[in-house]
Amino acid sequence: MKQRPFIGWFVSPAALVALGLAAAMAAILQYSVRAYVPGSLDVGGLTLENFTALLRPLYAWAFWGTILLCLLTATFTLFLAYPVAYALVRVRSKALKSFILIASVTPLFLGEVVRTYSWMIVLGNNGFINSVLKSLGIIDRPLQMMFTTPGVVAALVHVTMPIMVIMLAAGLSHIDRNYEKAAESLGASPVRCFLTVTLPLSMPGIVAGFSTAFAWTFSAFATPQLIGGGKVNTVSTLVYQLGFASFNFPFAASLSLAGLVMTFAVIALMKRAMRPVERLGEQ
Amino acid sequence: MLTRTDIATPTSLPAEKPVVQLDGVTKRFGEAIALHEAWLKIVPGEFMTLLGPSGCGKTTLLNLIAGFLDADGGEIFIDGILVTETPAHKREIGIVFQNYALFPHMTVANNIAYGLKTRGIGADEIKRRVDEALALVKLDGFGDRKPRQLSGGQQQRVALARALVIRPKVLLLDEPFSALDKNLRASMQIELKEIQQRLGVTTIFVTHDQGEALSMSDRIAVMSAGRIRQIAAPQDIYRRPQDRFVASFIGDANVLKGKLSAVTDAVAQVTVGSLSVEVPAAPLAGLAAGADVDLFVRPEHLVPVDGDGGPAAPSLAGTVRTQVFQGGHVDLYIDLGEHAAQPVLLRSSAALAPSKWQTGDVVRVRPVSADLVAFPKQDG
Repeated sequence: MKQRPFIGWFVSPAALVALGLAAAMAAILQYSVRAYVPGSLDVGGLTLENFTALLRPLYAWAFWGTILLCLLTATFTLFLAYPVAYALVRVRSKALKSFILIASVTPLFLGEVVRTYSWMIVLGNNGFINSVLKSLGIIDRPLQMMFTTPGVVAALVHVTMPIMVIMLAAGLSHIDRNYEKAAESLGASPVRCFLTVTLPLSMPGIVAGFSTAFAWTFSAFATPQLIGGGKVNTVSTLVYQLGFASFNFPFAASLSLAGLVMTFAVIALMKRAMRPVERLGEQ
Repeated sequence: MLTRTDIATPTSLPAEKPVVQLDGVTKRFGEAIALHEAWLKIVPGEFMTLLGPSGCGKTTLLNLIAGFLDADGGEIFIDGILVTETPAHKREIGIVFQNYALFPHMTVANNIAYGLKTRGIGADEIKRRVDEALALVKLDGFGDRKPRQLSGGQQQRVALARALVIRPKVLLLDEPFSALDKNLRASMQIELKEIQQRLGVTTIFVTHDQGEALSMSDRIAVMSAGRIRQIAAPQDIYRRPQDRFVASFIGDANVLKGKLSAVTDAVAQVTVGSLSVEVPAAPLAGLAAGADVDLFVRPEHLVPVDGDGGPAAPSLAGTVRTQVFQGGHVDLYIDLGEHAAQPVLLRSSAALAPSKWQTGDVVRVRPVSADLVAFPKQDG
């Protein structure tokens, strides 16, 4: 095929960004195999100590906790986003469609800090939920939601929703409405039609949305940091503490790398596990 | 326009209990009326075709019968039971969609078994009936394939088997042949008609293809602009169209400018030049003698009159404008001057035609058929 001369110019900005990212990654890789010199920003000689330190229970637990947090967030997001995505795809009225779309992507446009602070106002001991429940006489003492995993999950679900809705809607929009009509005409109740036709056919969207939500949550920082308040440790909050509170750059670097590898591994595993399910929806 | 009683009690209809009955079914989409008071009775085993151009309301009517749309007025009965409010999954209807809509994640056998499983039928019985259905559509041994591994024609057979295996009260076919190429279409039409007759399943077939409609149907309901214009057997639709739309939509028609010369209860006399022909009086109701009318003549009903030595029968003189060789016959377009706004089409046997006329020749033609119809003159 004939080379188009302008293609090079089109991709060069992206190439520059990729180059910058690669350089940063190389720096992190380099840091991760250096010794930590306490009380100094400089690093010592080559060592693998940082990686063996990852095996200490504290960090192993942080990894496990982060994975659990991601799974919880992705799962809740999936269940909340599916009906929204379905409505988005199936609603006939254009105005209603736009409303659903705008409402569901708005969280993306709020700054992370602003959004997280709003959640602190909602979840706090004197926050919205507690004061409502108190004034209704349902509880005497405030429920502890700040600095807990459920609190962090709630805030993370909020910001993961838009991605999940869009990915599910993309999957659902490929399902021919006639499949559902055919199932109905063959005697399937709406529930049966959903379980045997719509749901299996939307599996590719579900798998894509779930993996993306997982990776998205794994890298979340401000939300677990502010709402978790140090009580909910995730890989990214630990990296922050190690790097910018203890100035232990080498260990922070090895932890980051381990997190990256872990994300890839979990997503690969998930894809593998879902392959038979995903095949259900193949066109 | 048909009146309610014309359609509700067509004379050709046996006095059997209808399988599908529509009583004044109306459907609106916003302001637009998609279907205007449809009255229709379909008898057991009948092959009824809804024929019309796109946007005429035929698919809306099909969706209303299937239960995918809610009627805004009127009642729908299936097998004598009022189903206007019944959801689609309880109507016991088999449907073959235009794109077949085979479940892509299921094997052929599971596609066919789907409607049996929803009915809670036992596994052995399901297997027996699926095999039976596969045999019916000549796809024995294809049960384990996925739909995407099949050709278009095979997919259509599976769709048909899936719809028939539930022994539906009525089979709905939504333009099922439009995705097939021409040769395959013809053989599938014959096969479908055979299966339909063998099983005696009441069938409603939606199409915009008049050839399909004429060759396959027991009766045709011609639709236009949300209204049923005429319901009759194919021959009657072709020979005795009740209104102008039906006459021009089905088959080719030449329109001659005529004058109403006399009218009785059943028959009207129309003159065109020196010609005088008899037509049914019904479509001309309300016109007095002397009114302008349009006389519709099928191309095969128009014959050339041989030169000087021909019969003394009255005829119209015209000029040959164009000849189009069509293989088995030649299409002659003849300019009749003041008697027709457009050149009229005459089909002549190819064996005779080529040497006989040249473009520009003067020929005399006359209609030879009892099946002529006339409608009030239309402006423009």
